[in-house]
Amino acid sequence: MIRHLLKLVWNRKRPNLLIAIEILLSFLVLVAVTTVAVFYVDNYQKPLGFDVDRIWTISVETHESGGRSSTTIESTGADPAAAVTRASQARIARREQLGRLLLTLRDLREVESAAAVAVIPYGSSTWTSDVELGGKRHRYGANSGTDDLARTMGLDLLRGRWFSREDDGASWRPVVVNQRLAQELFPGGDPIGQFIAEDRPGDTAPKPADRMRVVGVIREFRKDGEYAAPENFLFERARFEDTDADASEPRELVIRVRPGTTGAFEERAVTALRNAAPDWTFQAETMMQSRETALQYWLAPLSAAAIVSVFLLVMVAMGLTGVLWLHITQRTREIGLRRAKGATVLNIQHQLVGEVVVLTSISVAIGVGIAIQFPILDVFGVISPGVYAASILISLACIYLLTMTCAWVPSRVASAIQPAEALRYE
Amino acid sequence: MGYTMIRSYLKLAWKVLWRRKFFTVISLFGICFTLVVLMVAAAVLDHIFAPIAPEVRQDRTLGVYRARMIGDHRSQTSLPGYLLLDKYARNLPGVERFAIFSMPQTVYSYQGGQRIKSLIKRTNAEYWRVLDFDFLEGGPFGDQDVTNGTMVAVINVTTRDRFFGGGPGVGRTFEADGQRFRVIGVVPDVPILRLVASGDIYAPVTTAKTDAYKRQLMGGFGGLLLARSPSDFPAIQAELESRIRAAELPDKNWHRLYAPAETFFDSVAGNLFGGRDEERSHPERLWALILIAMLLFSLLPTVNLVNLNMSRIMERASEIGVRKAFGASSRTLVNQFIVENLVLTLIGGAAGFVLSAFVLRALNASSLIPYAHFTINGRVFLYGLGLAVFFGLLSGVYPAWRMSRFHPVQALKGAGR
Amino acid sequence: MSTMIHLSGVDKVYRTDRIETVALNDINLDVTPGEFVSVMGPSGCGKSTLLNVIGLLDEPTKGQVRLNDGPISSYRDAALARIRNRELGFIFQTFHLIPDLSVVDNVEIPLLYRRMAGSERRKLALAALERVGLTSRIHHFPSQLSGGQQQRVAIARAIVGGPRILLADEPTGNLDSQMGDEIMGILHGLQKESGTTIVMVTHDPRLAEQTQRTIRLFDGRQVQ
Repeated sequence: MIRHLLKLVWNRKRPNLLIAIEILLSFLVLVAVTTVAVFYVDNYQKPLGFDVDRIWTISVETHESGGRSSTTIESTGADPAAAVTRASQARIARREQLGRLLLTLRDLREVESAAAVAVIPYGSSTWTSDVELGGKRHRYGANSGTDDLARTMGLDLLRGRWFSREDDGASWRPVVVNQRLAQELFPGGDPIGQFIAEDRPGDTAPKPADRMRVVGVIREFRKDGEYAAPENFLFERARFEDTDADASEPRELVIRVRPGTTGAFEERAVTALRNAAPDWTFQAETMMQSRETALQYWLAPLSAAAIVSVFLLVMVAMGLTGVLWLHITQRTREIGLRRAKGATVLNIQHQLVGEVVVLTSISVAIGVGIAIQFPILDVFGVISPGVYAASILISLACIYLLTMTCAWVPSRVASAIQPAEALRYE
Repeated sequence: MGYTMIRSYLKLAWKVLWRRKFFTVISLFGICFTLVVLMVAAAVLDHIFAPIAPEVRQDRTLGVYRARMIGDHRSQTSLPGYLLLDKYARNLPGVERFAIFSMPQTVYSYQGGQRIKSLIKRTNAEYWRVLDFDFLEGGPFGDQDVTNGTMVAVINVTTRDRFFGGGPGVGRTFEADGQRFRVIGVVPDVPILRLVASGDIYAPVTTAKTDAYKRQLMGGFGGLLLARSPSDFPAIQAELESRIRAAELPDKNWHRLYAPAETFFDSVAGNLFGGRDEERSHPERLWALILIAMLLFSLLPTVNLVNLNMSRIMERASEIGVRKAFGASSRTLVNQFIVENLVLTLIGGAAGFVLSAFVLRALNASSLIPYAHFTINGRVFLYGLGLAVFFGLLSGVYPAWRMSRFHPVQALKGAGR
Repeated sequence: MSTMIHLSGVDKVYRTDRIETVALNDINLDVTPGEFVSVMGPSGCGKSTLLNVIGLLDEPTKGQVRLNDGPISSYRDAALARIRNRELGFIFQTFHLIPDLSVVDNVEIPLLYRRMAGSERRKLALAALERVGLTSRIHHFPSQLSGGQQQRVAIARAIVGGPRILLADEPTGNLDSQMGDEIMGILHGLQKESGTTIVMVTHDPRLAEQTQRTIRLFDGRQVQ
């Protein structure tokens, strides 16, 4: 029977070709869309690593020249040495001010704890780095935070400890890594106390003070939120007392508020900060709000792709219906003949739907062949084979469901043709 | 073709379409859906790029919307800084007026325990002479205000209502980001996608909290150059280019700076397609992208419609044979078929229009894009109409041609060939 | 005496891929105005093809066709359409009524391709229906009529334009004998009252006997 159907489909190559292409195209787009959707859903289940409830973030904008970007022009003709001194004085003053802001916040009764961090979750800025260890290059997302950060954000400490006064005066840089990075850097062993040698090409041997040493391991820190793939993460210690020009200067303040704090708290906090630093701009937001906005941005391209996908599926429905209708009209005689030779109504229906299934299978077989290249060649390293498998299966189910439904009505029309009427067309 | 003829065509068309409901529905759905997708896309593009008040002088306005600095191992692309515009884009030959404006920035105000989020735009006085705002109250700030840094502001209607309830705004004061402003003018809301003109609060550029912006080469601002006529464009662009090339860079790690004067469309193309060392944008690439997308979205449905129409004809082969036997010329039959096709397309098209209007209204109402005012204006309507006719004609031509070549004898037997 | 239909040296050859089928071979034929002629022969002998050639539905491979003393010089679509509309009327074995149209709308079809007012069309259609004895059920649809009634509608459609030639391809083939007799009665009536020239293909010798002349075909040739 299958061979018979295959022959029928093959002999009618030309009108079938367009439909085959449309099915293939729809399948590929559908796989792309479902892969991303399944990817998101899969990531959503994994732990975030920090609390979202009762957390506020306050961004600090200092409006200063020579600030974050080095694209300002200082007045020309000035003495370069004096310029350097001026810059370092500004820097020291600024860090003192930031430190005082934290104290100001801690004075508020709603505030349970306050800390500062360089990169906030759900934000748009990114800080990545990499390190070579044992001949392999390890990439990781980086961040820096003050000693109170773990308590403030509710970081899940698995081993060791967070930064503290213990680290003052150490001859190395203390870091806290997430579990994934720990296992990657030190498989099987205890990462606490281990050194991570930073091997920058072209440099001379790194200074002892530049070496990183692991003091703690947290479960996770998903800086990009629930939909992003889990990645390696590393925290450096941040201190406002540190006057070194290269030291990290976190500008995002994080607060954990007591239960029952309302939105009115925002005004009190911002007013207090503005009184302490009138020239600076503060933007406060709850972590919940940042999360909502960020997730919208993640979903937007997916929604657009989904629309394209629906469009293509509609095209398939249209095309398939047209071609099947043509088939029935042109094969009325054939159908009548088959009926006269004993085919039942169900036989005719099955034959037509069977032909469509064969056509679909040819297209999706090619489609699966193409789609499967992605996990094999590991084009998107973050997406696991399980996600691909699930999305391919879901897409297959959708395509077959669509084509078989579109075949059903015409097949019923075909099977309703009376043999005598069909044969009368002689 | 007389009135009765058309009426009989329409009657028959209706009957045919009604008899094969499933196929008619699929055809209509396909046309309708395609039209909705294309028209919504057209409305959005029109909304972003077409000249809409207050940007009424777009035909003779160039802008400096982006700047790129290239160094040894890095490059930085961002908006131009105040210093770049002030130092190099002033007094260009052929420029009537020169406006500087900042990109909208979020500021918070606290009033009665509520937080009000607004977008502030800081501009120079010429900004109000390059753009043509339709002031509902009061007027803009002038050169004196900018020189003195007076704490005045123009606000839009929504902001006025947020701060002051229903009453008039001029003369009243409000606080934003810790600064207190006095309202001197109220303008209508400008959709946020119109980055050049949109803002909740418009204040003089000198009211910024610090004057650090004056020393920034890159970041946060844009410039508008109102030329005397479009023929001045090349001269303006060339002069700005040569000035920028000779510009002083922050430190010796940076080598080159670009900041072209171009139309907004060109700047979007430049941001999308600009390579590392590209100076000019390639607007033709953006046009090509838009065109290809539109073409793809139009061709697939058309081909499907052609197939559906062929089926419709084939099914009525014997009817066509009979008509030919009784003296219908091929042309008459083709006309009949085209009427049928147009009926189908127009119904699908009308549904598409209505649905597009709903979708756009929903988009406007949602808070996704504030002050969005997507409409089906004249341009978009004509585009949609053109599309519907395009579908109707194109999907009818091939089947009609095939039908005209039906041999009556074969047709009567139920085949076409 | 002028001839209504004249065929001389007409051949019709069908070519499909590499196979040639000779449907008609050297047909010479004259039909006088008002004559009722039948065409007989075994199945596959080409009688339907002959009718198609006379009715300008098919173009002869060789030879000449003249209708009403006017040679068919060009087989271009527009010219043929005009002649078919004015001079010819067809009646098919399977009726070929358009299922989506009512009876009276079906009858009006030939008139749609002439310039006239809608009211006039309606008048002529009703007159034709009366001629074939079908005055009730004119707004019914073909599926609601019996075989005999459907064929009457088809005849009304064929005569509504006042053509001088009627071509009937086995008009009673799908009807029982009683209905068939009624139809034949109408055809004979048309010949007598209007002087219509009728060429009828049939395999029933009984019906052929009632006509004035019978042309016999065998394998595409005329035989006696």
